[in-house]
Amino acid sequence: MKLRLIIPLALALLLAALVLPQAASAQPCFIFVHGKQTDTGTFTNWNNARNYWIDGSRDFIRTATKSFSASFYVVGYNGTRPYWESQAAGEVSNEILNATNGGADGGGNRCARTWSQGGTFWVVAHSMGNTVMDFILGNNDSSDPNFNFNGPYSDVANRISLVISVSGAHRGSEGADAVCGNSGALCNFLAFFIQDCDDATFWLRSDDGVQVRSFSNSPARNVWLTGGYEAIFGASACLSGEDDGVVQYASIYACGGSATASYDNSNACNNSFKQEASGFRNLDAGHENHDDIRDDTDRDTRRQIPDGIWNCSGVPCAPNTVVQSNTSTAQFVALLY
Amino acid sequence: MSRLFVKPLVGLFLLALLAPALVHAQVAQPVSLELPGYVALESARDYEARARYPESSRALALGEVDPIRAKRIPAPHSLATPDVDGLLTVWSSKVSFEAGEPVVLHVAVTDLPADVVAGTRITGEVVDSDGHVLGKVTYRDGGWFDEATGDGVFSGLFRFPVARVPELAESFLVKVRAEKPDGEVLKAASGFLLSNPHGRLTGQYREELVDGNLVISAEVEVDRSGRFHLAGTLYDVTGQPVGWAQAAETLEPGTHWIPLSYYGLMFHERGARGPFVLGSVALSTTSGMPNALNDVVESPYRTRVYGLESFRAQPHGDPALLESAQRLRTEAFFSRLRATQ
Repeated sequence: MKLRLIIPLALALLLAALVLPQAASAQPCFIFVHGKQTDTGTFTNWNNARNYWIDGSRDFIRTATKSFSASFYVVGYNGTRPYWESQAAGEVSNEILNATNGGADGGGNRCARTWSQGGTFWVVAHSMGNTVMDFILGNNDSSDPNFNFNGPYSDVANRISLVISVSGAHRGSEGADAVCGNSGALCNFLAFFIQDCDDATFWLRSDDGVQVRSFSNSPARNVWLTGGYEAIFGASACLSGEDDGVVQYASIYACGGSATASYDNSNACNNSFKQEASGFRNLDAGHENHDDIRDDTDRDTRRQIPDGIWNCSGVPCAPNTVVQSNTSTAQFVALLY
Repeated sequence: MSRLFVKPLVGLFLLALLAPALVHAQVAQPVSLELPGYVALESARDYEARARYPESSRALALGEVDPIRAKRIPAPHSLATPDVDGLLTVWSSKVSFEAGEPVVLHVAVTDLPADVVAGTRITGEVVDSDGHVLGKVTYRDGGWFDEATGDGVFSGLFRFPVARVPELAESFLVKVRAEKPDGEVLKAASGFLLSNPHGRLTGQYREELVDGNLVISAEVEVDRSGRFHLAGTLYDVTGQPVGWAQAAETLEPGTHWIPLSYYGLMFHERGARGPFVLGSVALSTTSGMPNALNDVVESPYRTRVYGLESFRAQPHGDPALLESAQRLRTEAFFSRLRATQ
């Protein structure tokens, strides 16, 4: 009788010992895509692209990858160009393909497993980086309007697993509207995001004639949405509803309808009212502004939003419920895998 | 003898791996994330559902809006000017205007007394992406292009110089300035797309069944060679959108047919037999960016009646989506495993 239990137990433990070590290596590879720039530094110098995610001792990438236990790759593209151009979407798509093939980024970082080795790849994009990803993932099929416009969009869509969107400018930015409309000194923003109505800013307006959804379809892979609701003094007065100082909630959460509709944490658009019929899902919101959210400097309150992924006593939390304190978006990403 | 150990072996193995997660699920945490791997697992489920249809065609859920029309509804943009009373809302009458068409622009001034609104002088500048001013717009409350007088909505008309028609399409910024009687100024910006399509729909359509799918083809007259994209939303006789399809082809000058293939499974899922109405048809020239958008054509064609047996009921089974789903399910498994360590 005892043998019936002892032998299976020993074999079970042996099997577990064989399987468990694989758990660490089965983590996704993280591919980081930065936002808009006012110079070409992130394109010409990889260190600039890497430093986009760092502020002092804080490092979004280090935190999100659990002290680099998950492999990563940092993309650097020309953030001064329109999101659809070759040095933006084209460059990003080529670099993502390179990452999935096991190629190194400018700093020598590679994904631990290639696509052919069964790897999975999560793209983490900030701000305009998401507009770029929307264009790529929304034009991956030969029946799409801008199929493989200037890069291997179809290969990228087939290989990446999902996107984590951090304060993404999916419906443009009212900040860009204000700058291009010369709305006055108090609507001018931190210089390293929007200085003037340059080409990239022109194409980040909330006008339907430039928005990515006018030139693409539903993203081929899920885009999970999180963003900030910490205002920037002066700048936020120019944006509708809740915002992170540069991008309004209607854009961060890829809402359908008006790109400038006023939302907050209690009524942000749910998963059924997005800019496309499928592919966009809500995560939560953090009390970080557009700058802080990309470099892990503000470990603050997090709140549930409609269709968010936090539970309270086993059921989805009510929107606007405080779900975490002292947790940055980088730390939040580390909880997702 | 060995068979006696198989079931206990499997059971103990699974219990050892999953017990911590099961305990987590049973003990309701005050505030917690979904189980580790949730994002991966939910994405896998989404991909398995989407894999039932090809990317060129999908069913529309009951109550879902027409995606083609939804993208062509111009959305008003409201912008506040700090320390200045009043709100300026701006929009264009269309997302995209075809070359030669007058561009009609609107402005609403709100949160101010009626007499102040009436006395506000509103002007605009049409600016290209290089910052060059193409011309000015004077907004009026009234006129043939303004819906009503005294409603707080001002409208302006802009006609493009013939020489300024783009090769394919161009996006423009409209800088709006509203000067109140007291001299304070409100500012906002809108925009529009000016399109010069290289082809257009002739108004001829035809239908056929191909491999259990309903194929409705639209005839296109092409002026210049290029890449053309066509999308159409199919409605049932009650006026509800049923499905959507798209196609893209590179065409030479002349007359061509572009087929829209509505995947058969959608008709089974909606129990829809026809006749169907092609409720929205959108052609665009996608040889470059920005694309040139033709005006949406509404309800140009009605099909005949079909029996459900005419349509295929098998899911498409998109292999790339199913591969992604499988990888994510494996990843989710290991996420939960790591959480137990």
